[in-house]
Amino acid sequence: MHRLALKALLILVLGTNPLCASRVQAALGGDAASVLADSAEMHGIMQSTPLQQYDIHEITAASDMRVSEFLNREGIVFAVTWSGPVVPDLQRLLGAHFATYSRALAALQRPGLHRSLRIASDGLIVEFAGHLRAYNGRAYLPALVPSGIPTADIR
Amino acid sequence: MRLKSILAALLPAMLLAACINNNNSKGSVAPPPVVNVLTVIVDGGPAAAPGAINHAYVTVKVCVPGSQSQCTNVDHVLLDTGSFGLRLVRSVLDAGMVTLPAKTDAQGLTIEECVHFGGGQTWGPVALADVTMAGESAAKVPVQVMDDTAAGAAPPANCVSGALINDVAGFGANGVLGVGVLAQDCGPACVNATTPLPFYYGCTSAGTCTAENIALANQVTNPVFLFASENNGIIVNLPNLINANGDSSVQGELIFGLSTQTDNPLPATGLTLLGADSNGDFTATYNGGTTVMHALIDSGTGSYAFDDPTIPACTSGSFVGYYCPVVPPQSVFAVNRGVGMNNAVSTVNFAIADPNTFVPNAAAFANLGGGAGSRNFTWGMPFFYGRKIYIGIEQRAAGSVTGPFYAY
Repeated sequence: MHRLALKALLILVLGTNPLCASRVQAALGGDAASVLADSAEMHGIMQSTPLQQYDIHEITAASDMRVSEFLNREGIVFAVTWSGPVVPDLQRLLGAHFATYSRALAALQRPGLHRSLRIASDGLIVEFAGHLRAYNGRAYLPALVPSGIPTADIR
Repeated sequence: MRLKSILAALLPAMLLAACINNNNSKGSVAPPPVVNVLTVIVDGGPAAAPGAINHAYVTVKVCVPGSQSQCTNVDHVLLDTGSFGLRLVRSVLDAGMVTLPAKTDAQGLTIEECVHFGGGQTWGPVALADVTMAGESAAKVPVQVMDDTAAGAAPPANCVSGALINDVAGFGANGVLGVGVLAQDCGPACVNATTPLPFYYGCTSAGTCTAENIALANQVTNPVFLFASENNGIIVNLPNLINANGDSSVQGELIFGLSTQTDNPLPATGLTLLGADSNGDFTATYNGGTTVMHALIDSGTGSYAFDDPTIPACTSGSFVGYYCPVVPPQSVFAVNRGVGMNNAVSTVNFAIADPNTFVPNAAAFANLGGGAGSRNFTWGMPFFYGRKIYIGIEQRAAGSVTGPFYAY
C-alpha cells in the first residue's frame, strides 16, 4: 500500500476511535492530531468524554498518573490537567508554550521550593501544586477557553 | 578561693551523680539519653541566596560512609516537613571537601533523580552519607546530591519541565532536609511501575539516562526513619514572633523522636491528631466551603497557601504573588480532618495581613498568605510560630499511635 494512503488510513482509524490510541499525549495549543500523534511517553489508556462545548480526553497511565486534555470545537487543545505521584513531562504537555513557562520560572523573584505556584504570562496560565508523591496542576490558554465555561471546570 | 567556688558550684551535681549511681547499683546502668535536640534558625538565608521569607534552617553533619574525618557541617539546610529525604548542593559539599559515593543499580549504572519543587527541578545522583544531627545518626543514608557543578550526567529532556534549581541561589538554601510523615521520596510507585516513572534514572558513564524502577531501600530516604533510636517522628518547636509583622531571626528547636525521651512526649490531652493518607496528606475545607482539599503541615512553605479568588494577589513590591487583602488583616478559617483511624476535626482561625506593611528585610512573618490557584491547602511556616508541631512517620508507633500523622 502507498505509504501516504496507509498514514491516512491510520489517522482515520485512530481518529475515529480514541480508545485505539492507547499511547497518547497532546500539547497545549495543538490539534486533535497532536493528541494522537504524540505517543509512547505515558503508555496510557485514553477515555474520551464529549461535552456540549468541548471534549475531554483523559489518559490514565502507570501508577495512577493522569493527564486530561480539553479540546474546543475548533479542535484545539485549550487546557491540560495532570495529577499523580510525579510531574508529567511538561515540555511535551505545554508544547509551544513551554518556552513561555520556562521563561516565567527563570524570572521568578523567589525561585526554589514551592508547593504551589501560579504563572500567568503571555496568554498562558499554569497552576502547579503538590509535593513529593502527590502532584497536580493545570495549564490553559484563557483566550481559547469556550465562552461561558468557568475555569473551575478545567479539572 | 577560686577552687572553692568551683567546688561549690559542682557540689550539687556531684551529689546528684552520687544519687544516680546509688540508684543504678541495684540494676544495670542505663545509658545516658541520646541528645535529640537540634537548633532551628529562621533567618535571611545563606549568603549566596539572601532575602529568604519564612525559611527554617538547620545544620546537618554528613560524612563519607564509615569515615570520621571526611565530614562537613552543612548550614542553612531547609527544614521541610513537606518532603522526604536529604538533598545537598554539590558545590557546598565540595567546599567542605566531602565527595559522597554515588549509588549504582544492579547493572552498575549511576542512580540519578529528577525531583519537582514547583519552582523547578533538582537533578543529581543518589549518594550514600552517614548523617548526624544533634546526637542522632544514621549510616549509609541514600541522599540526593544536587548537581550544580554538572559533574555528573546531564538531566534528560523529560526532567527539564521548567528550570533547574540545583544551586544555592536558585534553591534558596544549601540543601533540604525532608523530614515529613513518609519514609521514601517516591515509594511504591517507583518500585513496580510497568513503565518506570520519570523520577529515578539509571545513567551510563557516557551520560545517557533512562528512567528505571528503584527498590525502596535504595530510594532517597527520610534520615530520621533510619536513626537507630528516635526514629518514629519529630517535633518542630518554634516560638511566637516578637513582632508579627517581621522578626529578623527566630530560634527554635527540632526534637527527634516521639514519646521516646522525657523531652518528646505526645501530650495525653489537648492534642489534635490528624492521620495522613499514603501520600502524606489529611484533608481540609476552607472558609466554610464544600471543596475537600488535600492538606499538610509544611515547614517548606513560607505562607499559609490556598486558593481564594476573592483575595487579590500583590502585584508589586517584594511579595508579588502573595495575598494583599483589600481590608487587612483578613480573618479566615479552615477545618482540618484526619484520615483513617485518627480522624480528628479541628477548626483553625488565622489572619492574612498586607505584606506591604511588613518590616523591610525581616525574615519571619506571622500572617502571610499565598497560593492562588492551588488545589491543595498548605499550613506553611506561619502555622508553626507559637506551636509544637508533631510529625509521626509511617509504619512507626509513637505510644499508642501509628504514623503517618500530624499533630498540634
